[in-house]
Amino acid sequence: MKNIIFDFEYLAPKTLEEALTLLSQYDEDERKVIAGGQSLLIIMRQKLITPKYLIDIKGLTDLDYIKFDKKEGLKIGALTIHRAVEKSPVIQKEFSVLSEMEQNLSNVETRNWGTIGGDIAHSDPCGDPIPVLIALNARLKMTGLNGERIVDAEDFAVDFYETVLQHDELLTEIQVPILPPNTGVKFTKYNQIEGDLALASVAMSITLDENKKTCSDVRIGLGGVAPAPMRAKKAEDILKGKKITDALLVEAGQAASEEASPTTDIQASEEYRRELVKVLVKRVGSEALARAEKA
Amino acid sequence: MKKQLKFVVNGNPYDIWIEPRLLLVQVLRDELGLKGTHRACDEGCCCVCTVNIDGKAVKSCSVLAMQANGKEVTTIEGMKNGAELHPIQQAFVDNWAFQCGFCTSGQIMASNALLKENPTPTREEVQHAMDGHLCRCTGYNMINEAIRDAAGRLQAQKAQEKTK
Amino acid sequence: MSEYSIIGKPTKNVDGPAKVSGEAVYTFDMTLPNMLYGKLLRSPYPHARIISIDTSEAEKLQGVKAVITGKDTPGGRYGLWRRFPELCDQTTLAMDKVRFIGDAVAAVAAVSTEIAEQALDFINVEYELLPAVFEPLEAIKDDAPLIHDDCSNNINITRHVEWGDVDEGFKNSDYVREDRFIYGNQATASTEVHNSLASYEKSTGRLTVWSSTQSPYYLQLGLSDALKMREGDIRVIKPHVGGGFGGKNSTMPDSLNAAVLSMKTGRPVKIVYNREEEFTCTERRTAMNMAVKLGLKKDGTIMAREVKLITDGGAYTALGPTALYLTGTYASLPYKIPNYRYDGLRAYTNKMWATSVRSFGATEAGFAFEAQMDRAAHDLGIDPIEIRRKNAMTPGYEAPGQYSVGSCGLSECIDKVEKRVKEKWTGLAEDEGVGYACFDYQCGGIFNWIDTPYAFSGAMVKVNIDGTVDLFTQASDIGQGTNTVSVMICAEELGVGIEDIRLHPADTATTPVDLGAWASRETMMNGNAIKEAAAEVKKILIRVARLKLAENIVYDFEAKNKRIYLAIRPERGFSYYDIVKDAIKENDGQALIGIGHYTPHRKGMVTPAWAFGCMASRVKVDREIGHVKVKEIIVAHDCGQPINPLGVRGQVEGSIHLGMGWGLCEEQPNDNGMILNPSFADYKVVRTRDMPQIELHEVLTYDPEGPFGAKESAEGAVAPTPASIANAIYQATGAEINSNTLKPEKVLNAIREAEKKKPAKR
Repeated sequence: MKNIIFDFEYLAPKTLEEALTLLSQYDEDERKVIAGGQSLLIIMRQKLITPKYLIDIKGLTDLDYIKFDKKEGLKIGALTIHRAVEKSPVIQKEFSVLSEMEQNLSNVETRNWGTIGGDIAHSDPCGDPIPVLIALNARLKMTGLNGERIVDAEDFAVDFYETVLQHDELLTEIQVPILPPNTGVKFTKYNQIEGDLALASVAMSITLDENKKTCSDVRIGLGGVAPAPMRAKKAEDILKGKKITDALLVEAGQAASEEASPTTDIQASEEYRRELVKVLVKRVGSEALARAEKA
Repeated sequence: MKKQLKFVVNGNPYDIWIEPRLLLVQVLRDELGLKGTHRACDEGCCCVCTVNIDGKAVKSCSVLAMQANGKEVTTIEGMKNGAELHPIQQAFVDNWAFQCGFCTSGQIMASNALLKENPTPTREEVQHAMDGHLCRCTGYNMINEAIRDAAGRLQAQKAQEKTK
Repeated sequence: MSEYSIIGKPTKNVDGPAKVSGEAVYTFDMTLPNMLYGKLLRSPYPHARIISIDTSEAEKLQGVKAVITGKDTPGGRYGLWRRFPELCDQTTLAMDKVRFIGDAVAAVAAVSTEIAEQALDFINVEYELLPAVFEPLEAIKDDAPLIHDDCSNNINITRHVEWGDVDEGFKNSDYVREDRFIYGNQATASTEVHNSLASYEKSTGRLTVWSSTQSPYYLQLGLSDALKMREGDIRVIKPHVGGGFGGKNSTMPDSLNAAVLSMKTGRPVKIVYNREEEFTCTERRTAMNMAVKLGLKKDGTIMAREVKLITDGGAYTALGPTALYLTGTYASLPYKIPNYRYDGLRAYTNKMWATSVRSFGATEAGFAFEAQMDRAAHDLGIDPIEIRRKNAMTPGYEAPGQYSVGSCGLSECIDKVEKRVKEKWTGLAEDEGVGYACFDYQCGGIFNWIDTPYAFSGAMVKVNIDGTVDLFTQASDIGQGTNTVSVMICAEELGVGIEDIRLHPADTATTPVDLGAWASRETMMNGNAIKEAAAEVKKILIRVARLKLAENIVYDFEAKNKRIYLAIRPERGFSYYDIVKDAIKENDGQALIGIGHYTPHRKGMVTPAWAFGCMASRVKVDREIGHVKVKEIIVAHDCGQPINPLGVRGQVEGSIHLGMGWGLCEEQPNDNGMILNPSFADYKVVRTRDMPQIELHEVLTYDPEGPFGAKESAEGAVAPTPASIANAIYQATGAEINSNTLKPEKVLNAIREAEKKKPAKR
């Protein structure tokens, strides 16, 4: 079986500051950060990367937290394991879509060790968290020795496995604002095998006006259909300010499928992935609408 | 350069020095000789290597051994009570919940964690919890029944202990 | 038949306690003192001549103990179709050329796997690239590159089967249809990878090999042929095996090179594949391109069938011809065909070779046949169940010159499934469909392609003074439960308990030959051998009991529940344990030994008996994305007499799982010889959430050829699974799909095609 067959120096900083110091101390190509390692260890076992230094931040328990405030919203420490997000009573109550997303993210064993921050920083184009965070209008806090930066979730991932994180920064917190009133959020991903990586995924947040008639705001996150998770703004424009009907959702789905830039690979063709976007936007939109109406 | 790893495995404390590149499954199998945990893939996709860390089901191939420092690990070898099979193990035997048996340790360790968290799971809840486990022999349904049978036995055992 | 005390009763797996406690030892877990670790260097090219190999740098590395190439091996040719020496086309390492990406060219033994792996990078191979060919139809063209110099047109083997007059049959048909079916490459993907541990003893010239194998005997033969050693100087021991599914019948480079490296170093050597090697450098299911013509009368009676088949054999022969041969048989079953013709061809290509994989031939032939039956039924206005019932195989049928059918409960199975579907599946939801498929499977093979002089299965029973029994059988339990079945059959025959028997399995030095676990042969063949061996001892015990009772010679004795007693007056008898003591005393103190063998005779060319069944799948189709959800399966199954109902259920459900994978999602896309998805991340298999509830019914037909009437249950249910699912999709949407897998994208496209034609909703 494949193991890690090259040697590296193992460093386990005890504080965030120590970790950041190590990051700036070593060249980007020489070192790698490991949190849960659910993705990283596989890549290292395949010898796709061979860092000389491995900086283990899993022990930074200060970054493992879930905090909720009625005004500030939700703050999740980057080193919170997926399973904690999935099972958190406050998340299940206030941001159930996050818990639902986690329930189908890989499997229990991965979720028991892998962290949500590690997953986001790894930035798999088919990853589940970022489309949901886009729909939730979430922001991501990055910390370096020189201070903190905050970016919108939709701006965090820029290309295949590439993010805006600077070489001496760590993702430290996920911030989700309180949902506006009359908002419903839904996430669905599709793959032939239940729970598998998404061939395409859609997260939608629909906010209705005070009469619950027209859509005052909408956010659509797409996963698996572009080099990085993306926001479908043209599709949003079709829905915003209008009364959402099935026909309108179909139109939005069409727009989203055109905005996306999926590729053909051994699992599915570009055409099929676009088709999935079309159908999923329609279905997810319909469910998000129902949730908004109930909210 | 070797690093110190102090952890507890199946109730036994270990203080060993290992190369930090080792995966937990390598330490368990090769350093400690606990061969009951098997390996079937190189991509963290099959859950055959599942053990418990602090009571949670985790893939031992996807944990850097150094990260188990200070933790309590339970492997399949830690399930028996002396010579007696654990109720989950017995339920697997009674329900023909394995065939070649190569994935069985992982299935049992995952069940162990599941039943601690959810003592009376439904068929769907078991399916969901065991979703990551790859088995080429059984078709999964008999495993599912064994786990729910084990749940019943553990509940009965608990009830019995209460009345004592 | 009389009531059995053990046969037919749910019995726990005799290996259970070991397997659930992590104590069962697999080759994967084994180490020996002073052991070295081996790794194989593999060709990155699909077709190339080896100009030179320089191993000097690798040999210099610290920790490397030996590096070998083809010239360092005895160079013997080996294969499974040994009856035809030209088909023994493999060697321990590539000698003059490589024929697929992954073909082994060198091997290293070192003190750790890491060092062995690193050493591979230091071996320099100079290749001369040769043009390669990947499609069978291209490979058999005159201008195609020759893959094996002694095989013109890359035609590995052909097969022709014929009876009746097919052209007349079509002339007399009211309805004729022609379809083409295409099946892709798939993996066996056992959880335990291929791995072997070899230990050569220089002083005696004897080799011992432990391996994850389906057949210790076949491995012994392969080692003997390749290493040019006497079979008897090679001992193969099969520990527990983590699955095989047909992919571990062949002798592989892991065992061969571990052996040669052990010979060279004088130390035990272990070679373990990684999962990527497992997907790319072992064996795959045979891909097929099948043209089928079916002719029927307007009342649905089958008149004729013609099948033309080309299979993608890959670089070597292995058990590929068996898949070719058997497809020719299975395409004539499970319905009666008065006029039949089959022409099959296996072509070499520059890919990993194709072999026999669970339900080989039956799954492919069944998919085609069942699809045609449904479509014919639709066109003729006949109910899909009725058309099957009308043509169903019956007991005593003879396929001229080919095979005969003994017991057959197919009609009863059809009736049972029809009844249950009517009772249970009332009110189908929109986009739900029910699909049917009938099936059959053999109980081992008769054609002696391995060219063995031995009986196909042998067993030995030794009864000790205290009544305990040692049972020796080479039969391979690879998960299907053969160990338990073996013990059960022995216990039933001798009248003892499971707990009285110790099984000594799968060691070529201590057990008589058994051909191994393939084509569902173990229960029939090994079971019969064990029954005979136990019966020999029982004869002795009965003789002793008869003498003691001094009863009338016409009266029978029985051995059951640890007693030997008069059948007509059960209370008159003795404890088995007392009789054993007396028998050994009377035998000059020698333990009681019984030997049994089984080779099918006068049973045609294919198999001694056939199992049958019928399956219905209830499926929901998402018309917008093509997703197929199998909601429930009802299957009725005739395996003669289930020896262990728990084991039978396990086998049927396991078969259904693999059938679902074969039908829905398991694919190995190939690009110029490179397999594109060599990991479980990308090779999709069915997981627990996708498994439907399965309702299984047994129809007992008691075949006299089988031990206690038993027939196979290990492979039959694979074939009807994808077939019935495809038929359910057809029934729900009109979509006709003539290839696997039924991936959502393909299903969606097929639904759209069907919508264009606008068939009537069923």
